[in-house]
Amino acid sequence: MRRRIAVAAALAATLLGAAACGGKSASSSDSLDGKGKTLKVWLMVDAQTGWPGVVDAANAKFKADTGANVTIEYQQWTNHLTKLDATLAGKDVPDVIELGNTEAAKYVFNGGLADITAKKSGFDNSANWLTGLSAPCESDGKLYCVPYYAGARVLIYRTDMFSAAGLQPPKTYEDLVADAQKLKSQHASDPKFSAFYMPGAYWYAAMSWVYGSGGQIAQKGSDGKWKGTLEDPAAEAGLQKWADLAKQYSKGDPTKNESDQDPVFAQGDSAMLYGNGWELGAVQSQHKDANDPNSPMVDTAVKGKVAAVPLPGFSDGKSLPSFLGGSIVGVAQKSKNQGLAAEWIKDFTSTSSQQALLAKGALPNATNLLDAAAAVAGNEASATAAKSSWFTPNAPTWADVEKGNILQQALVDIVTGKKSVDDAAKAADEQITSALNAS
Amino acid sequence: MVSVEPSTREPLDRRVNMPVSALAGRRRRGRQATPYVLALPTLIVIAALLAYPIVKMIMLSFQHLTQRDLFTGESPSWIGLGNYTAVLSDSFFWTVVVRTVVVAAVCVLLSVGLGLAVALLMRRVTPWVRILMTVAMMLVWSMPQLVSTQVFGWLVDADWGVLNWALDKIPGVDYTNHSWWVNPVQGWTVIVILVVWGAIPFIAISLYAGLSQVPRELVEAAVMDGAGPWAVFRSVTFPILRPLVGIVTTLSAIWDMGIFTQIYVIRGSKPELDYYNLAIYAYQEAFAKSQYSPGAAISILTVILMLGLMAFYVRQMFRIGDAD
Repeated sequence: MRRRIAVAAALAATLLGAAACGGKSASSSDSLDGKGKTLKVWLMVDAQTGWPGVVDAANAKFKADTGANVTIEYQQWTNHLTKLDATLAGKDVPDVIELGNTEAAKYVFNGGLADITAKKSGFDNSANWLTGLSAPCESDGKLYCVPYYAGARVLIYRTDMFSAAGLQPPKTYEDLVADAQKLKSQHASDPKFSAFYMPGAYWYAAMSWVYGSGGQIAQKGSDGKWKGTLEDPAAEAGLQKWADLAKQYSKGDPTKNESDQDPVFAQGDSAMLYGNGWELGAVQSQHKDANDPNSPMVDTAVKGKVAAVPLPGFSDGKSLPSFLGGSIVGVAQKSKNQGLAAEWIKDFTSTSSQQALLAKGALPNATNLLDAAAAVAGNEASATAAKSSWFTPNAPTWADVEKGNILQQALVDIVTGKKSVDDAAKAADEQITSALNAS
Repeated sequence: MVSVEPSTREPLDRRVNMPVSALAGRRRRGRQATPYVLALPTLIVIAALLAYPIVKMIMLSFQHLTQRDLFTGESPSWIGLGNYTAVLSDSFFWTVVVRTVVVAAVCVLLSVGLGLAVALLMRRVTPWVRILMTVAMMLVWSMPQLVSTQVFGWLVDADWGVLNWALDKIPGVDYTNHSWWVNPVQGWTVIVILVVWGAIPFIAISLYAGLSQVPRELVEAAVMDGAGPWAVFRSVTFPILRPLVGIVTTLSAIWDMGIFTQIYVIRGSKPELDYYNLAIYAYQEAFAKSQYSPGAAISILTVILMLGLMAFYVRQMFRIGDAD
């Protein structure tokens, strides 16, 4: 009970937890005999809403092999790390944890996840894992987590609006801007019309423009210190192009992030959107009750009127590098069932699990499965986009840059005109540098 | 409720004195220990829920706690006043301090002013209107902050909000997709309205209870002497109400210095720097940036700032006690 109150008591929670955890678990936790044991798994809601069958199948196989039970607790993305940190500081921790791939490094470097190097060869496709997923799982040649699935962002556009304007999907970035301009003037009578809906705090998008222009977020110097590099000319050029697009062609709240861009696009007042491959489905059908994942799906105003292509980049024939988002699963360092936990992960990330995921519009965790992914209808664009991708700086404290809203703040400042691109980039660099070098 | 005490002096005194004198008569010895024994359970609960975390937080503010320490249970290093000097020499901290105080002052003035106005109005309306007002305020009061904040967030949403839709209906006004959060003055206006809206019921009902203790004959006498409504309020009603107004004002000041839920939730749990007050700042440092120790230092500094207000509040309480 005391622990529960503590969790609610914000700052005090962390402290109480820190005080409560003295010992380290180092018992014989590697056993695979799971009779009478229950494995606690924290997965993110995507599995619950997107592919519950994959979870059930893995659980069934795991139970048949080991005799252990599995409890899955689904977590919301919003602030899930705050909850996880407070939990990991205590003793009663989940055995398996899912993390966003950009969040993994923090737990790998800080002793949150267990070393599973010895079991690496036992995981399916471990030789071909996508680097964007596996790199953050590694430190000093050791493995701390396993890639789960990936996603890549693509250009989602309204086929009916494009053909009404006599346009083809853009092949170059200049085409894209020209198309946006034409669509904007054709729909001038609709005050809500966005030729390209681009929320101001959508940093995964803006950073794609940065990487597409040859810039990057941060760089590690020869002295081992990180430095924010958004003020480099290449990065600023990318930011400028992104801001021009957002300011010119996007209506809507510039302080919003991408979290409700699908329902906004589904209203039918936008012609283009930059989103994950699976968002192509999300804009066409939505839950009748947005707060109830069990409510029936209903068609939106744009049903059957959308398609996806890779977003064209700045040099000919190349698509804009997409952020390779995704998830990883790891074993908690404090777990008392580390062997069982690794076994469950093996079942959950097996080739057959991956193939079931592909059918749901997610991208697989390994390159040898990407071609199979591209063969799934609706997945072609994102599978192509995944081949040209960028990833966040692999620094232990990267997650703090994300959670600290550093990039979002800079982007909103630019789009709302509060700061010039240069001022915003410099302010962000200063904070990125300090966050990435913090211990 | 404290609010009814000023004019129930007689019965209150009797109530307090009777058991004490009875005790004094029978067991003079036990008299000193009994109150402490009776207060013990409360003290234990307070110590467990308040003192322990506060002591730990004070310790934390002098340490450098990293995530590694947190996950592995290693003990953090002591760095003395490092966190404090870093925070106090940061100009952003002072911006936030000023902003916190200004926002709190505006919220307090509005909520106490409007609360008093509502209380005065309740005296003039017919009983059933008064019941309706009370029920409406009880509903506002009982609504969880989280829920009301979410509702306000939807009202002012740029894409779906009813406020923009309604403003748009006014001829010549274009509020399509207007964002209320780009300009911090507009954004804070929304937050202040939300806070004041939530604060009025408590203040209005407390003050109404206080007003009902203003003797009618005093007011009548003043009117007979030719006093207008304003003069009656200023010279008769308000002096009787003053201690109570003092209490609700100080309480409001303490609450409004620590506004958190409204800001955090309405900004989608990612508040921009323009929307930082001290509470948000401490939370973001500690939990968003994992800078636990500087976050603790900011919290302690906030507590010190609040203690000043608390001293004022406690003095008010004692003054009322003296008057009785």
